[in-house]
Amino acid sequence: MVLAERSNDVRNGKRSRGPSPNGHGSPDSSSDEENVVPFAAEKIRVGRDYQAVCPELEPVEARRPDLISDRALLVWSPTTEIADIKLDEYITTAKEKYGYNGEQALGMLFWHKHDLNRASLDLANFTPFPDEWTVEDKVLFEQAFQFHGKSFHRIRQMLPDKSIASLVKYYYSWKKTRARTSLMDVVGEGRNAASSGSGKKESGTTSEPGGSDKESDNDEKGEGGGEGAGKWCSVCGIQCTHTTPHNSHKLCQACLVHARRTGTMRPLCGPSGRRGPGSKQQRFKHRLPRGIYINHDDLVAMATGPQPGELPQPGLINQGEAILKSMDREIISLKRQVQQNKQQLSAMKRKVGDTGVEDYRPGEPPAKINSRWTNDELLMAVTAVRKYGRDFQAIAETLGTKTEAHVRSFFISYRRRYNLDAVVREHEAERGNTHHIQAGTTSTESADTADSSNAKNGTASPTTSKDEKTEVDSEGVALGASAEQGGPPTTPPKHKPSK
Amino acid sequence: MSMQPHSKKRVCYYYDSDIGNYYYGQGHPMKPHRIRMTHNLLLNYGLYRKMEIYRPHKATADEMTKFHSDDYIRFLRSIRPDNVSEYNKQMQRFNVGEDCPVFDGLYEFCQLSAGGSVAAAVKLNKQASEICINWGGGLHHAKKSEASGFCYVNDIVLGILELLKYHQRVLYIDIDVHHGDGVEEAFYTTDRVMTVSFHKYGEYFPGTGDLRDIGAGKGKYYAVNIPLRDGMDDESYESIFVPIISKVMETFQPSAVVLQCGADSLTGDRLGCFNLTVRGHGRCVELVKRFGLPFLLVGGGGYTIRNVSRCWTYETSVALGVEIANELPYNDYFEYFGPDFKLHISPSNMSNQNTPEYLEKIKNRLFENLRMLPHAPGVQVQAIPEDAVNDESDDEDKIDKDERLPQSDKDKRIANDGELSDSEDEGDGRRDNRAYRAPQRKRPRLDKEPLQIKDDLKPDDMKDDVKNVSNAEESKKDMPPNP
Repeated sequence: MVLAERSNDVRNGKRSRGPSPNGHGSPDSSSDEENVVPFAAEKIRVGRDYQAVCPELEPVEARRPDLISDRALLVWSPTTEIADIKLDEYITTAKEKYGYNGEQALGMLFWHKHDLNRASLDLANFTPFPDEWTVEDKVLFEQAFQFHGKSFHRIRQMLPDKSIASLVKYYYSWKKTRARTSLMDVVGEGRNAASSGSGKKESGTTSEPGGSDKESDNDEKGEGGGEGAGKWCSVCGIQCTHTTPHNSHKLCQACLVHARRTGTMRPLCGPSGRRGPGSKQQRFKHRLPRGIYINHDDLVAMATGPQPGELPQPGLINQGEAILKSMDREIISLKRQVQQNKQQLSAMKRKVGDTGVEDYRPGEPPAKINSRWTNDELLMAVTAVRKYGRDFQAIAETLGTKTEAHVRSFFISYRRRYNLDAVVREHEAERGNTHHIQAGTTSTESADTADSSNAKNGTASPTTSKDEKTEVDSEGVALGASAEQGGPPTTPPKHKPSK
Repeated sequence: MSMQPHSKKRVCYYYDSDIGNYYYGQGHPMKPHRIRMTHNLLLNYGLYRKMEIYRPHKATADEMTKFHSDDYIRFLRSIRPDNVSEYNKQMQRFNVGEDCPVFDGLYEFCQLSAGGSVAAAVKLNKQASEICINWGGGLHHAKKSEASGFCYVNDIVLGILELLKYHQRVLYIDIDVHHGDGVEEAFYTTDRVMTVSFHKYGEYFPGTGDLRDIGAGKGKYYAVNIPLRDGMDDESYESIFVPIISKVMETFQPSAVVLQCGADSLTGDRLGCFNLTVRGHGRCVELVKRFGLPFLLVGGGGYTIRNVSRCWTYETSVALGVEIANELPYNDYFEYFGPDFKLHISPSNMSNQNTPEYLEKIKNRLFENLRMLPHAPGVQVQAIPEDAVNDESDDEDKIDKDERLPQSDKDKRIANDGELSDSEDEGDGRRDNRAYRAPQRKRPRLDKEPLQIKDDLKPDDMKDDVKNVSNAEESKKDMPPNP
């Protein structure tokens, strides 16, 4: 066992007095050989001190099974009355609207004797016990954990109002999510490593140095050009939903308030890092990764407590926490959806089976394969190169009228004429981009890191199994990334009908 | 989610939401949290709603002393982390302190674990359910007056004692990687309980479980030990499990079965050394379920907790006869299951030191022993177990058909071999310090011993045994019960 080193002597010492005099239970089993062994090692012991006393079998007539207590409390029993979909709907509402967990939702339904309507109505009347862990508690826990590790007794000295059980429970829900370091930190680290030149992991993560460079380029454009629908405050450079023109500037709410109150522009110390006044280099030190932006309105809402007009109600969480909570809930519900979609996909795939799709493919007479290239085919081929790069097999399958060898020779002979190298480069650039975006989006939620690694696999090696790729594909769709780009280049077109 | 029904059973599930909060201590591989992870997976797979869910009462000292000695239970009840210094002597005596540490809430933990198994046994006795599950139980090393191997109170023995009130013979099967010594010892001298344990043997905890340990006194031949070597895979496991269990069922004819589903026999376990997948492990549950006897499933070992919860979730689905998707649903502990987030796991490439010849030899030796049982072969059509439920027969074919996934699904399972270093565990739990060094001892000499293979027990005949037995039972269906 794990505690071997420590336990050895104790155990051996203890065991040596263990075996009962009659020691081995099977006297006839080669007892002469037993003597060869100097240590009559661990043995099953026989005697009153070791065996259980079996109860008498109760005669059938004397049995009163209905009178025996269950010694347990029934908290849920299955019902056939309610359709699965309805039950799912009910649970989702309970979860997302009222913050129940699945078990509590079903408990409520059971309490109402499986009456779905009454249970639904009653949901609002009971709020599940709120999370008794405040932000302060959590921070304190993290600090204590760094100090004491998993000695919950010691941690408890710092959080005396928590029980050990509560600490253990929180620890298990926290330990995996703590890996979810904020994307800001990750990017910041990468930057620092790159700028300091030493590079913590020079070879380790190839995507980091190159990737972050490219990223910052992209960001530059993004911030300058104001990509997307959002508006940008011209003082602090942060995106917000409303900007107000003021003295030839367009200001966000915070800058506007400051300007009105003081008559000066707000000093540049936006929330995305300490930017020393004027030092332009520092300004870019903590830039947000691509695709992520700070909505100033949300920030303001987070920072302010309850609205000035409202009475501060004790026990009521402030606005900021409410925003975070609702975002968390949204993320979770999206993740749940992702997994559900995956389950559905695999179920459908199984239904279709291995060869199921083949039958439905339009029969293409092999006679059609022709080594002569028509103009249409040439056009298609170039487009295909744009899409699949040098994956000649995929191109051939797309065309349908050419073999892989044909495509190869096409590539060689028309390389100059259609500037195919440039097309391939374009394809690769796009692919790299997609890859990057995917890695970025997924790493915000560590739960999905697997998918990003899948994506890497999928794009890096065209030999990975097809099933996996379609998975990635579907993932891309679910996460809102462009399906076209998310799809690995080698996904053969025959998969399309199966989806 | 595709759920295809096969052989539906009424399943009762015992769980207390507090059980995941007990903590054995820093660096200790036993984590009750795995039971909560399992529970959460069940809930999110939608299996929860298909079972009767019970919150067991805490077992009382009275209930626990049905097996354990009074002073041992009294000791467990009074020991706390803050008073260990007063109990030094007793701690040595009861083997508490090292493998079995004193932790906060120790006694309550034992009460919950035992309470679940006892309540489950009661339920089966009342014939109010065909299958009962208590993943919080299965602590098979605990002895009458002694803790051992992370186990303090033997919930299995307590459950079986409860079953024995209504059942003449109870079969106990143990597929934990460790020998089920606590249960074997408790019933070593009785012929009413047969214990069958499949385990790693040789320089391995707890050191017992030799092929030649067969029981004593009246219980001679009622303890069956299957000593195995490292690297058991699904195929070899089934090749030994099926014939042995079929033979045991045929000769012992129990009227209730308890299966200890220790998940440390899975591949990549922090302490174990077998190479079973979730599917192979769950296959044992499926095979036992087919006999249609009142069936108690308990947990046990299992120290790579993400795989433990995968395994027990799958086995719950097997018990329910419901198919679940390979993609895990989102759940509270979703991050634990990365990077693949799948239900099924792939075996590692470790070598299997159990040759077919070796397994064959063991099997034949055990058959020899089983022949010595009073109602030996030849009296096949005997009393039907009084409360056996036999609605299996029509589903038999269906089960065979969909027990394997198409190849595509298998291919899809992403190997996570490189990931076995237990990301969810503390860094101090390296696998290499697992080996419990039992006192020096020679390996069993069974290789040298002459083996006799009886003609009627040729291996080929054994393969179909499961079928034969259920067919036999089928034919007995209409006979009046014969108590």
